[in-house]
Amino acid sequence: MSEMPEQALWSSCKYCGRHVHTEQWGLFLRCPFCGFPKRLTVEQRIEMTFDPDSFQKIDLNIKSKDQLHFKKYADKLTKAQQKTKHDEAITIGTAKIGNHLVAAGIMDNQFMVGTLNTTVGEGIRQIMEAALEQRLPLVLFVTSGGARMQEGIFSLLQMNTILAVQERLLDAGILNINILTDPTMGGASASFAFNSDYVLAEDHAQIGFSGKRVIEQTSGEQLPDEFQSAEYLLEHGQLDDVIQREKLKDVLQQLLDLHTAGDQNG
Amino acid sequence: MANELEQKLKLVRDVNRITGQEIIQQLFHQVLELHGDRINHDDPALFSGIALFENQPVTILSVDRGTSLTERIEKNGGAVRASGYRKALRSVELAEKFNRPVISFLNMPGADASLESENEGQSLMIAKMIAKMGQLKVPNLAVFIGEGHSGGALAFANSNRIVMFENGLFSVASPEAMSAILRKETVSEVVPMTAGKLQKMGLVDQIIKEDQDVISQVNTAIKTWLDDFNNLSSNELIKQRTEKFAHVLAYWDKMD
Repeated sequence: MSEMPEQALWSSCKYCGRHVHTEQWGLFLRCPFCGFPKRLTVEQRIEMTFDPDSFQKIDLNIKSKDQLHFKKYADKLTKAQQKTKHDEAITIGTAKIGNHLVAAGIMDNQFMVGTLNTTVGEGIRQIMEAALEQRLPLVLFVTSGGARMQEGIFSLLQMNTILAVQERLLDAGILNINILTDPTMGGASASFAFNSDYVLAEDHAQIGFSGKRVIEQTSGEQLPDEFQSAEYLLEHGQLDDVIQREKLKDVLQQLLDLHTAGDQNG
Repeated sequence: MANELEQKLKLVRDVNRITGQEIIQQLFHQVLELHGDRINHDDPALFSGIALFENQPVTILSVDRGTSLTERIEKNGGAVRASGYRKALRSVELAEKFNRPVISFLNMPGADASLESENEGQSLMIAKMIAKMGQLKVPNLAVFIGEGHSGGALAFANSNRIVMFENGLFSVASPEAMSAILRKETVSEVVPMTAGKLQKMGLVDQIIKEDQDVISQVNTAIKTWLDDFNNLSSNELIKQRTEKFAHVLAYWDKMD
């Protein structure tokens, strides 16, 4: 037993189902068979995006609770916390991208699919307030299955209360770049996700308001295979660009550079 | 409990349920409908117009499910499309420019889920409408005649005051959608969505009793709202909304 590796060496690709060896995934965790990017942990995202060791975590103001006594919710929270080693589906802090100091938020799809609840909403408002206060550009990695049903109307009201802070942020002239990653749906996409100055998406990410299954059931429509993919949204004019994660850090740096070029005080 | 919810759903979805249109006809005059999103569509699910309430010009938005089968199909059962939100946004921008308070009458399942709405940016349109209603420099009022769920209803409910008929419902998703998302039968009973519960947490400000006197109660509610908010500055209006919803979110900790 002693020679068993701590982490499994093989994992399957969510898209093509093939078994891929850790070494085959490579630095950017892209499937060598179908080319789809693997969903990342918060740590992998931080490592891939920000200057080494530059991320400084900010603690979340509140902790999640099962206030409605919703069946199995308390268990789900505990399991998600054990699995991700995070308190909730968002991690916030400050970090550097090519020496630009930014406020950063990274949502976590491995924590109950990044669903938006009281704590996640508060975390997003917290990092927006921090960006406002310190006048830092805000870079937000969005991923969310939508509003978290287990907190009912309280999850829904994160949408308008986040938007109120985001509107102040944007009005104050602070730069806000959102990167939509797999998946970005419902309560997240219909609030802060698309409301930033720039909206980029990672390749192959699923992005939309209603889920495919719901659309098929309610409208009876046949949906194209590529429907709600980042590439499909780009074709329909809804994104600034689709960026492969291999190039994402460079693109973010370029965008930040372009907003400070000519800045006398920069 | 589950029965109470089922009963309410039956009532608000009944074809004979009073509609925003009926209330508009009785309480407003000089009603002028304004069509279209100025791009490509005129969503029948969303009525937008200008009218006089007593002597004050106001902007009216109204969503209902339709009172006949033909109308229900045309109105998409009250599910507002991306173009409907674009029309609503255009209408409230004009309201702000000409200093007209905004009233929304709602009885809708939520926002439209379709290929067309997705292609036309349903997410962004809802986000823009929610954001605009929150920052609106004129007073706004949402009247839940029936149900209204998800971001699609929040786009109108992000208002200074929320009035709800006693059988009205407002939740993160319709009870059916919620069960479908969670793949469970009855999950809704623990989730607050009825007028009484929402009033307790400060989200609903006033409940309209469903008796003979409905119209006059709505009339008084609109009057009171105008009296309370007409003289507030745009900053005060925005602040009141921020505080109202912060107060509701704070209720989360007080629940048990």
